[in-house]
Amino acid sequence: MRPFALNYARPAQQLEVSVPYAYDSRLQLNVLPDGRLAAHDYAVLRELGSTTSTAGSKTHFDD
Amino acid sequence: MTVLILTCEQDVTADMVLAELDANGVPVVRLDPADLPGPVALSGEYVRGAFRGHLSVAGRLVSMGGLRSVWVRRPGAPATHAAEPSDWLTEESAQALYGMLRSTDARWMNDPDAARRARHKPWQLSLAQRCSLPVPATLITTFPQAARDFAVRFPDLVVKPVSGAHPQEPPRAVPTSRVAPDTDFAAVAFGPTLLQRRVAKRADIRLTCVGDRLYAARKTVAPDADPDEVDVRFAASDTPWHAVDTPSSVAAGVRAYLREAGLAFGAFDFAEDADGMWWFLECNQSGQFGFVQIETGQPIAAAVADWLAAPNPAGTQSNGSRSWAIEGH
Repeated sequence: MRPFALNYARPAQQLEVSVPYAYDSRLQLNVLPDGRLAAHDYAVLRELGSTTSTAGSKTHFDD
Repeated sequence: MTVLILTCEQDVTADMVLAELDANGVPVVRLDPADLPGPVALSGEYVRGAFRGHLSVAGRLVSMGGLRSVWVRRPGAPATHAAEPSDWLTEESAQALYGMLRSTDARWMNDPDAARRARHKPWQLSLAQRCSLPVPATLITTFPQAARDFAVRFPDLVVKPVSGAHPQEPPRAVPTSRVAPDTDFAAVAFGPTLLQRRVAKRADIRLTCVGDRLYAARKTVAPDADPDEVDVRFAASDTPWHAVDTPSSVAAGVRAYLREAGLAFGAFDFAEDADGMWWFLECNQSGQFGFVQIETGQPIAAAVADWLAAPNPAGTQSNGSRSWAIEGH
């Protein structure tokens, strides 16, 4: 009784990764340990895939 | 006038836009509806023919009448961080928050009703056709025989989820996948199945649209790429995205699409074939764009910030400037 499309399913990648930045509610932005804005560190964002279109996201599928 | 951003704390793509707004001196309040009630509080009154509403988060208090725009980015479901969450509390909180926000004249990126409709892939395909965007032959069916007949007419097919959603128990992903010629389609009867003619693509295209501004990015398919890896999100590739011009016919088509859909933002996916034609695959009404900006240098975050900060043509509500304090905040 498995739907046809699920014949092509694969285990979802573990998306929960540790990030080196934390949310600062005063700034309303994520900040790196040295105080710089995470959004300005493209190397970090690229490495983590934080801004990448993902498949299998638990909460958002239209990305 | 304030920009309201509804998103989760981890959303660094929203950070890219918020930093632009900060740099331009535009007032911003950011909150996650998941934190309502609790860290996020609201109040609104409908008295003497007028609505007055306020939101509070992390020491910030904003009048809803003072909102110029609302960006629905990556919000959590309301009340999911509550001490005692429940489906009922989520619905109550959603009705209160979104109902009040819709009582304002703020511009939306994207309007919740338009966003809900725009998530339906079958509707997307129909709208793309009406807007003269090339759409690969597609079948959505629960009839196994219809699938078999379609496979005879279009022998090279892919299958993808109708909704784009992925099963969570256990967590699995369903990438767009090639269907082998001798496939048994009997299981089509057990769930709506989307089959589509495979586009032999030479590149993936991501076209990010912010209002009238278009930012197209292209990622070349490597000559030695596995032809069975058709989903760019899963294909291992070091090929970067780079900026390209949008063909005029495509530009006209996507602008008509957004206008018809009532969307201020859309991230379109196309497959470019050997003739250079862009085939419409889908439009993500809340698509990611940070990775495109990072790889291409296209100023998409600034464009989003500009749209959010633009004056509201509907004007300010008469109650927009009232200052108000909530006990305990």
